[in-house]
Amino acid sequence: MTAVIVNGAKREVHAPGDTPLLYVLRNDLELTGPQFGCGLAQCGACSVLVDGKEVRSCVTPLATVAGKEVTTLEGLSARWAKQKGLSGETAEKTLHPVQEAWIAEQTPLCGFCQNGMMIKATELLEHNASPTVAQIKEAFTSGVSPHLCRCGSYTAIIEAVQRASSEMTKGSKA
Amino acid sequence: MITNERQTTGNTTDVHGATLSRRGFVKTGGALTVGFALAAKDGFGQGAAPGSGNSLNPATPESWIEIHADKTILIRAGKPDFGQGTVFTAYRQIVADELRVPFEAITTVISGDTDRTPDGSGAFDLLQGGMPNLRKVSAYVYQALLDLGSQELGVAKDQLSVKDGVISGGGKSISYGDLVKNKKLNLSIPVKGDLGSMGGLRVDGNPPLKPVSEYTVVGKSFDNPVTISKVTAKETWVTDVRLPGMLHARVVHPKTLGSKLISAGPLDKARFPNAQVIVKGNLVGVVAPTEWEAIKAAQQVASGTKWSDWKGLPGNDRLFQFLREDADWKAVPPATSKNSKGDVASAIATSPKKLSATYQLPYLKHAPIGPTIAVGDVRPDGTVHVYTHTQNPQALRTAIAHMMSTSTGNVVVRTFAGPGHYGRSNGGNAGAEDEAVILSKELGKPVRVQWMRQDDLQWSTQSSVAYSDVQLGLDTDGKLVGYQIDHYMPAMQDDRLVGAVLAGLPTMPGPGENNSTLAIANAMHDPWIYDGTQTVLERAYGTFQVGQKSSPINVGLRDHSLRTPGQYQQNFPREIAITEAAVLAGKDPLEFRIQHAREKRTIAVLESVREASEWGARTGRSKDTGTIRRGQGVSAMLRSGTYWACVANIAVDTSSGAIKVEKITVSVDPGIVINPMQLKRQIEGGSVMGVSIALHEELRFDESGVVSSDWQSYPIATMADLPEIKVVMINRPEVGKYGQGSEAANALAAPAIAGAFLDATGKVARRIPLKPAYVQSLLRA
Repeated sequence: MTAVIVNGAKREVHAPGDTPLLYVLRNDLELTGPQFGCGLAQCGACSVLVDGKEVRSCVTPLATVAGKEVTTLEGLSARWAKQKGLSGETAEKTLHPVQEAWIAEQTPLCGFCQNGMMIKATELLEHNASPTVAQIKEAFTSGVSPHLCRCGSYTAIIEAVQRASSEMTKGSKA
Repeated sequence: MITNERQTTGNTTDVHGATLSRRGFVKTGGALTVGFALAAKDGFGQGAAPGSGNSLNPATPESWIEIHADKTILIRAGKPDFGQGTVFTAYRQIVADELRVPFEAITTVISGDTDRTPDGSGAFDLLQGGMPNLRKVSAYVYQALLDLGSQELGVAKDQLSVKDGVISGGGKSISYGDLVKNKKLNLSIPVKGDLGSMGGLRVDGNPPLKPVSEYTVVGKSFDNPVTISKVTAKETWVTDVRLPGMLHARVVHPKTLGSKLISAGPLDKARFPNAQVIVKGNLVGVVAPTEWEAIKAAQQVASGTKWSDWKGLPGNDRLFQFLREDADWKAVPPATSKNSKGDVASAIATSPKKLSATYQLPYLKHAPIGPTIAVGDVRPDGTVHVYTHTQNPQALRTAIAHMMSTSTGNVVVRTFAGPGHYGRSNGGNAGAEDEAVILSKELGKPVRVQWMRQDDLQWSTQSSVAYSDVQLGLDTDGKLVGYQIDHYMPAMQDDRLVGAVLAGLPTMPGPGENNSTLAIANAMHDPWIYDGTQTVLERAYGTFQVGQKSSPINVGLRDHSLRTPGQYQQNFPREIAITEAAVLAGKDPLEFRIQHAREKRTIAVLESVREASEWGARTGRSKDTGTIRRGQGVSAMLRSGTYWACVANIAVDTSSGAIKVEKITVSVDPGIVINPMQLKRQIEGGSVMGVSIALHEELRFDESGVVSSDWQSYPIATMADLPEIKVVMINRPEVGKYGQGSEAANALAAPAIAGAFLDATGKVARRIPLKPAYVQSLLRA
């Protein structure tokens, strides 16, 4: 049995330790935000945050995340609420600014890759609140592999990251 | 039952009605009341619509539109969504305008489930030359509502007006909601066609349509309500479908595209105690209760499975030589375009300036971000249920019924959101559906088949390879006096169920000479737009798929249409040849196009893109001489009533051979622009796919099969390749029709980029992809 903190709650999982986290999340914990794209850490559709860092859950064995904090797409809103000190009904009704921006910019086309795109955007904005376009492009194309979108929504992703950035930094700028 | 009914009210989108999902499909309260009990006037019998079986009766209006006493409206369409969002945005806008109700009144959209929609066909050509079925049905229903309102209010029909779903006249008024309470109305919707065919059923007749000048909903940007469920992880994707007792499966596909099974590898029961191997013909499936066990067991079984060898493909290196020298282009006569005119050979022969050239496009993959996946459930009562992501559910239903030797009435296909695959399943299947059904039949349990990345690249269909020969001649003034193009492309539409082929079960025959549905004949897909040319000859030759006949299992390289199918293969050679002709004539390539066009909409998009891209008119090539050389190129296209022009600005690194596309400008005139925001996003996405095709994409294969197996061996564009993209939409309400905006943009970039390369370097690129090694070889030449 492996204990993992998923979206803020401790979860005990009976799957074998070599099971990729993706299958544990989707099949054991019923968190279906992350998607299977390649199983090779080449596309990013399966991304989650592990202790705040974007990782490819399709190649991350369950045993390696024991005791760590995993955040999936389902947990983004609560992550934001916690960061902003929101609680109760306000927290319930609040989406993560990244999600709000993805809606406002009508970013998804088929949308299958967008889980990983939003996870990557969240990681980026937590470390760099006001990234330039070049830094956004760098974030989405560096690391284990570029984050791939076959529908070609890259323009809409950049515009959504910029919108989320301005929302998240509202009031904090001079 | 699992459904994909969607509430579109306000800010929420729920998928409801089911109890089987692992996540629990949201049960929405307040069951919808059908207040409008429309009775079909005549029995549009099931016999009249072949294959209708358990689908909704298309003759009755409530199969399409329900108007409820609470003033909400539900619409149904056989065409599913494939990422275009059209059924959730444009369809609602069109219906809202025809019915004179607010966009928001249409609170529910049901699409793509064979037992819950009336008309079939696929997620392509969604606006059908400006006449989606729902537009006509709405017009019929509107007239019926006016009749009913006239009776109810005692006011003549022509004295009535409708706004926001309220009929008014003679000082009286009544809302649709109140009008339809407990009412019956005799209305029979005339339909034509075959439900299970590519095009499905078409609504017939000519009901009066709302004048475009009176539109209040069409033309405005509305959000796609599904976006919210997708970004909040509430969408039920095809990957999320779970049924009680369901087993996970992986398929061990043959070693080559012509291999027969010798023996399936023994399963290591000690390591995989819950797994099973199912063998049917050349189909080897491995199932287990958990997905990870199925994956690992399949890998273990695959390593011990023995297949016969086969070498029957030319491989990349000999592909175009094979096509020219060995392929049989005479098995069927070529198609000649209706624009062909005059004695081209003589015109070219006497021209002072001539061009003779060959252009080549590689096999491309649809390459969805997620591999094909389906759940099959063959129940004890003999009914077959398929849960999948398909563009054409009724066609899939017909094919599954054929494979299972049962009636279509016993088959239900339910569709879900999934990774876009751009035409691959527009004839029914994407790959996994039939395998899921075959394994479910063998095991008596629901089976979920998901292909691995490698399967999806190596065992799915590809978009056809093509080459074209061009001859053209110019007069002393630099005008085109003769233009001849001969297009060569193997059959591009193989809708056979590959699992059925492997298992030896019934499926349609592969593309052949005398096969009406899957013909090997080619067609002219790219309408000629340079009508000022004196003589023209356009021909399209078809042949068998490469390896199809020689493969002992009748597989080979199976092809399938890809976004802008057939047309992108013909538009690339034409457009780069026209650019070459302009250069030969000493003319600016954009002005040269305008001078040869006659249709004002063609000229207008070219003028628009010239202005929007800040095109630098010139007759000679770019003056850049350094290591980095910049250039501009243009392309133009007419597709399904939509006029397109594109300018690419690129930078060529002459030392590395790398091309950076810096800017893409697209001008589009689709007639009526329905939803500017959604159209813009579609065009931006299509443009990125076009850059990807131009720079990166080429299927790698050897003599036995496909070698591309992952995103490294089949690279696509990343965000690093993203150019600045500028989209100009030209709204022409006076045209009175909607064109197709969600396709086509992917075809524009490659010829514009090749034109820009010519401008930047003086070298002609007559094939894609423009990878550094090829670019360097061109620069050295």
